[in-house]
Amino acid sequence: MSNYVILNSSAHANTKVITDRGAEYGDNIKYALTFAFEFRNIQSCYPIFFSKDSETGQFHPIALFGLANNENLFLDDRGWDATYIPMMIERHPFLIGYQGAADPDGDPSPVVSIDMDNPRVSKLKGETLFTDGGKPTAYLEQAVTRLEAIHRGHEHNKDFVTALLDNDLLEPFTMEIKLNDGSDNQLLGFYTINEDKLSQLSGEALSALNTDGHLQPIYMALASYARVRTLIDKKNAQQT
Amino acid sequence: MNKKTKKLVIVGGGTAGWLTAGIIAAEHSINSADGESAGFQLTLVESPDIATIGVGEGTWPSMRTTLRKMGISETDFFRECSASFKQGTQFSGWTTGENDSYTHPFTIPHGYAETNLAPHWQPLRDQVKFADAVCPQSPLFEGTLAPKQITTPEFAFQVNYGYHLDAGKFAEFLRNHCVNKLGVNHIKANVLAVKSDECGDIASITTDSSGDISGELFIDCSGSRALLIGEHFKVPFCSKSQFLFNNTALAAQVPYSSPEDPIQSCTLSTAQTAGWIWDIGLPSRRGVGHVYSSAHNTEDNATAELIRYIEASAGKNVAQQATVRKITFEPGHRAEFWHKNCVAIGMSAGFIEPLEASALVLVELSAMMIADQLPANRSVMALVAKRFNKKFLYRWDRIIDFLKLHYILTKRQDDYWRDNCEKSSIPETLIDLVSMWRHQSPWHRDTGHIDELFPSASFQYVLYGMGFETLSSNTRRRSDIDAGNVAAALFQENAKRATQLKGSLPTNRELINKIYTYGFQKI
Repeated sequence: MSNYVILNSSAHANTKVITDRGAEYGDNIKYALTFAFEFRNIQSCYPIFFSKDSETGQFHPIALFGLANNENLFLDDRGWDATYIPMMIERHPFLIGYQGAADPDGDPSPVVSIDMDNPRVSKLKGETLFTDGGKPTAYLEQAVTRLEAIHRGHEHNKDFVTALLDNDLLEPFTMEIKLNDGSDNQLLGFYTINEDKLSQLSGEALSALNTDGHLQPIYMALASYARVRTLIDKKNAQQT
Repeated sequence: MNKKTKKLVIVGGGTAGWLTAGIIAAEHSINSADGESAGFQLTLVESPDIATIGVGEGTWPSMRTTLRKMGISETDFFRECSASFKQGTQFSGWTTGENDSYTHPFTIPHGYAETNLAPHWQPLRDQVKFADAVCPQSPLFEGTLAPKQITTPEFAFQVNYGYHLDAGKFAEFLRNHCVNKLGVNHIKANVLAVKSDECGDIASITTDSSGDISGELFIDCSGSRALLIGEHFKVPFCSKSQFLFNNTALAAQVPYSSPEDPIQSCTLSTAQTAGWIWDIGLPSRRGVGHVYSSAHNTEDNATAELIRYIEASAGKNVAQQATVRKITFEPGHRAEFWHKNCVAIGMSAGFIEPLEASALVLVELSAMMIADQLPANRSVMALVAKRFNKKFLYRWDRIIDFLKLHYILTKRQDDYWRDNCEKSSIPETLIDLVSMWRHQSPWHRDTGHIDELFPSASFQYVLYGMGFETLSSNTRRRSDIDAGNVAAALFQENAKRATQLKGSLPTNRELINKIYTYGFQKI
């Protein structure tokens, strides 16, 4: 369970955050939410699909790490073997919220929380959050910048997904994966971009997608399907 | 006689009228831009003065397909029609009147395409209710669970469902869709007269504010007034009150005590001394009504029974404040529905107690048949009309058989229930079926038509729900041993599925709130 408290320089003066990667830190997950603006980095490592939030039924893009539940094929003894780690993984154990500004015309102010029950939170080792003078460390500043990007990313994802749905570009798919050991594995419950529909879009529709910045991530997602091979290779390698 | 069908006129704008307009307009493009030869016009004339009867109504699962074909978003439908999920009916007090109840779920028994579980359930009849043994749906009713999740695409399901809806809002919703999306021409006017041509067909209708409206085919959706089929053509009405006694309904709206009160998963039907009470849960309120036989009960007594029922679930204050509206009707239908160039759909065609929610499904089927076989010209119209009449007379007979079945297995002793069991009040076709079912349970062979209204499964749910016993066969079939193993596996799978669904499905209230906030996905 999570136990989020608002981050504060006196209460968390001695709190540290472990940045190592491993199953013991909750990294053994099959997929994580991702954002259109990081697709360029994601597609160089992981396949990008779409999945429905179980609470709301809303679509969001995800980066796939494994073929079975609780399986992250990028994790090994040395950590997470990839050139890029998705922001939603990197964000832990922090969360951002926004509090309404006293002045109605002012911007709401960001509030950063930390999950004190997250296994990354430690008194003994890891990155410190505040300097002796109570100022945020470079590590924390970077974490907050990331959280702000994530916040904007959620908003942008909504527009991106709406554009995909309006153009009828998402379709459910099932992938049958045969491994070297002869076992059949099925990848179920994800959605992809329908290439046929994409190729039939009018110039007008394509232009609108391009203007709104959605066309590039669409092609990034398509390119990412080649990474399914990476997952299969890793899985086969694990079994030998 | 070879006049082409180019203009279709619907008279009446309740649910029947707009549903008919939507189904036909979804199938045929209207006022097509390809030129006059390709398109045809569909006009609906609606009186601005006559209010539609806005009671809570139940639909069949067929309504999902109907809405989808019309291009309606299920999310919009839920948001605008006060719709909720209907997964079947629960009948209480119908067998003995002493805390007995059974269910008729919309999902057919597990493995029904190939295996008839009824004979295998017979030895277990004292341990488990038939519907619970063969279908995972009824166990969801108690927890007021929904038939799907927010991640399930629109119109798809985990267990089959239709809807409960506010008929007044539904008619308005369909009207907007028909006019704005499907090109239906909407005229608000009162019909003053009907003009005939030399063959006795309707040539046009004369209205107070839009002059004469001509057409080749007229659809009478004017409700119980039956403006065209009754008042104009005087097609006789066939009363069915010798079979089905109920002819009066007392309807009331019951508010919830809190906006988060549970919404029932099925229609509740509770037997009374001379009729039964329906209880339909919409998200905003309940629709409750008592339908009874005026020959067996007084209005005062029927009202008192209704008030007692409301009081038991909503408290004394709510029950005393309830406004009760009385509706009387003659159970039965027209001798023919398609006469010359006029078809009756909805209450103008016939009306019967809403025991199995057959009203809207008949509208859907009638409109679908017109859309499917839309006669190209007047000479082929007579042939289509003949087919239509044959099919729908057959359907009415099957509805009457099926509704009557609910009454004839009772052990209740009130006069009304005993009179219902009198042989003279039972259609011969039904007597034959029940005699047959003494020795073999209902099965695919019992349904003569491919598009039969009630599948044999529905007969099973009612028969075995009411404790009917099919005697075990005196011969042993060679296939029985294998079938026994298959059946045992199916019973087990069903129990597992019920447990799994109970653990994963949200309540109706939770899901409907999520539909309001997020909506269903189309995929």
